[in-house]
Amino acid sequence: MSYRVDEFGNATSFDDGVSLLMTGDSTMTNQRLLDAVAPKNDERSVVITTNTGAGTVVKELERRGADREQVGIIDCTNADSEIEGVPVRTLSSPGDLTGISLEFAKLFDQDTEEGSIRARVGFASVSTSLMYTELRTMFRFLHVFTARIRSGDMFGVFSMDPTMHDEKAHNTIRAVFDAEAEVGENETSVSGTGFE
Amino acid sequence: MVDGDDQPTVLVVEDERALIELYVRWLEDDYTVLTAAGGEEALEQFSEDIDVVLLDRLMPGMSGDEVLEEIRERIPDCEVAMVTAVEPDFDVITMGFDDYLTKPVEREELLETIERLLSRSQFDDIEQELYALSSKQAALRSSKPKEELDENEEFSELQRRIDELRDELNTTLPGMDDDDFVAMVRDIEGEEADSNDDMPGGLE
Repeated sequence: MSYRVDEFGNATSFDDGVSLLMTGDSTMTNQRLLDAVAPKNDERSVVITTNTGAGTVVKELERRGADREQVGIIDCTNADSEIEGVPVRTLSSPGDLTGISLEFAKLFDQDTEEGSIRARVGFASVSTSLMYTELRTMFRFLHVFTARIRSGDMFGVFSMDPTMHDEKAHNTIRAVFDAEAEVGENETSVSGTGFE
Repeated sequence: MVDGDDQPTVLVVEDERALIELYVRWLEDDYTVLTAAGGEEALEQFSEDIDVVLLDRLMPGMSGDEVLEEIRERIPDCEVAMVTAVEPDFDVITMGFDDYLTKPVEREELLETIERLLSRSQFDDIEQELYALSSKQAALRSSKPKEELDENEEFSELQRRIDELRDELNTTLPGMDDDDFVAMVRDIEGEEADSNDDMPGGLE
């Protein structure tokens, strides 16, 4: 099985368990990330957002065909958001990595008895969280997170704005991921492994 | 963490003599087993060689929670499984334990838990090496043009080793579940907080 994506540069689907780093200006990667993690039939989407309120994320996912019952949000923007029919977990800081992992586990806790679930996981963005944590910590967190995505046969998309960091930080973070999507104004170009 | 051919070391802290004997019987073929009948005795056994501690939560004298605090201070790399009479939820992980077992503990369950905790340590070890090499590679990439690196033998050797470690990392915890995930992230943040404590001007 794989995760199908529409109009996503040179990629049409990603293999189970793959994590993708999406780089570019955050206004563009925010949109492209939601394109990539919008759930198809029988899939779920969990979006961890550090820069856009949960309400907007849900609206944007609905615009891309999602039903509310398919969606779960971890909102780290410190906004109080309640959305009917969508579990929204709020955290006070994008740097609260333990909180993110705990809420992620709780969002899936109710489903695990039904066996494996098809899920897309979006994280927008790594850049914001990096302002609150050390590079070393973020690198380790991403490794553990992508390992969880791999063991669960999910599909992970993590966005990052390279202009917000030095080149070395960008190059270090990209080493965690199977594939990278460079998002430009008019095109998306995917490189690496785990996609077709 | 596992040195050479040496077996991993497990410290069993339990006040019921009969249970200690039972656990030792189950574990002694695969691990070096140390035992302590209480918290105070456990502290005397502490060393960097200990990979996993099996810790009874409710003991007379020093409680399991207090012993845990000492372990985190003195052997931060060590994995700790709490043995408890009641089924806990995710809170056990935020309390600082890495895993838990509910009494009565079955043999299979005990062995499986210890193996899982050792795999987590192994994951950490590989990840640590991967970080060192990835930083090195990132520094090279930032300082030299791509054409030059493509022809550089040291750089391709670095890339080869990184790929190898990535494969190892991907196969170390194939059955990683949410408990593993949460506990490992908590450990990462815990270690980060500790290292900042030692460093003036560190974050928070």
